[in-house]
Amino acid sequence: MSSYKLTYFNGRGRGEPARLLFAAGGIQYEDHRVEFAEWQALKPKTQLGYLPMLEVDGTTTISETLAIARFVAKLAGMVGKTPLDEARADMVVDVVKALFDKIVTLHFEKDETKKVGLQKELFEKTMPTSLGNLEKLASAEGYFVGNSLTWADVYFYHVTDMITANYPDLLKDYVNLNKVVGNVKSNPGIAKWLKERPETPF
Amino acid sequence: MPSYKLTYFNGRGTAEIVRLVLAAAGMEYEDVRLEQDQWPELKPNTPMGQLPILEMDGTMLCQSNSIARYVAKLAGLAGKTPLDQARVDMVMDGMVDMGNKFAYEIYYEKDEDKKAEKKKDYVEKYVPQFFSSLNKLASDGGYFAGDELTLADIAFYNMVTMVNPYLEQPLSLDGFPNLEKVVDNVTSNPGIAKWLKERPETPY
Repeated sequence: MSSYKLTYFNGRGRGEPARLLFAAGGIQYEDHRVEFAEWQALKPKTQLGYLPMLEVDGTTTISETLAIARFVAKLAGMVGKTPLDEARADMVVDVVKALFDKIVTLHFEKDETKKVGLQKELFEKTMPTSLGNLEKLASAEGYFVGNSLTWADVYFYHVTDMITANYPDLLKDYVNLNKVVGNVKSNPGIAKWLKERPETPF
Repeated sequence: MPSYKLTYFNGRGTAEIVRLVLAAAGMEYEDVRLEQDQWPELKPNTPMGQLPILEMDGTMLCQSNSIARYVAKLAGLAGKTPLDQARVDMVMDGMVDMGNKFAYEIYYEKDEDKKAEKKKDYVEKYVPQFFSSLNKLASDGGYFAGDELTLADIAFYNMVTMVNPYLEQPLSLDGFPNLEKVVDNVTSNPGIAKWLKERPETPY
């Protein structure tokens, strides 16, 4: 039995995909949360200088949000059942991540003129296009791949969960995407985690 | 044997990582290069309105890294264990970060002064720091995962060669011997060496 230690800040952010997948897979792990004050001292000791990080059996470290999430999804049997299904899941995750990256960029943009331009592009072009495509890729039963929950569904839920805090009508007209969110939230492991997880501002 | 058809524009761009993996794998494929005016007709028939796409047996995949990972899996170049596969993924994600940073801060920056400043920062601060971490991840045999060529090594080579033409000088690997070995391992892979000699010369 392997031991897993996830290190991230005390928030959902880029740590939450792995936490959701550990929960879905019913896999024990240490949920180590670092305060910002500790971070400066810890940073030079980390593998790539940023979080999240996953340590396996105290000997191997993996960094990068999606690499960690995909690994945990493999442990939980949620990557897809064939190489082609795995690729479909990867494809969906890539698109959702690109959307998330744009939101993050918008959030941190300090130049007001640029910010307005980015916001316009995001809401008039990128968001409707990406969500429209994702709606087509999701099945009527609410799965991006096959007919059972994969990490593509979970990652999509996580990103929209982060976004809907500020944009509550994000998924208003998307029937299949709403089904995906429903399937993720009603997964027993995830449902339990959503009830128990710490309340954090991000 | 399914037949593979890769469609992109006539350039290396985001498709080149797929072409490199296909070359390393020795896999036959149709390398379709569209002219700009052929794209609008195909676009609505693609999964996400973007290229590259890979078609086989009536299925279409998009997203260059997902396609690259899929091909690498078929060819045994994705890492031999889940942990090795995660190491490969980690390096690939790092390359995406490196590429996105370049694109957003430099390539798409319209203000010339800001652009020059960001370029200086990228080349003198960000890359050496990142390469230092990457050098520790690569073995001294020049492999990011296990002891043979994987997609991670190819991805590193691809990112560096993608960014270099836009800089005053190519990124230096001085002081990063493991990374130099990675590049050597990639360029001396027989399939890749052949492709590098034969591929069309294109502006990007």
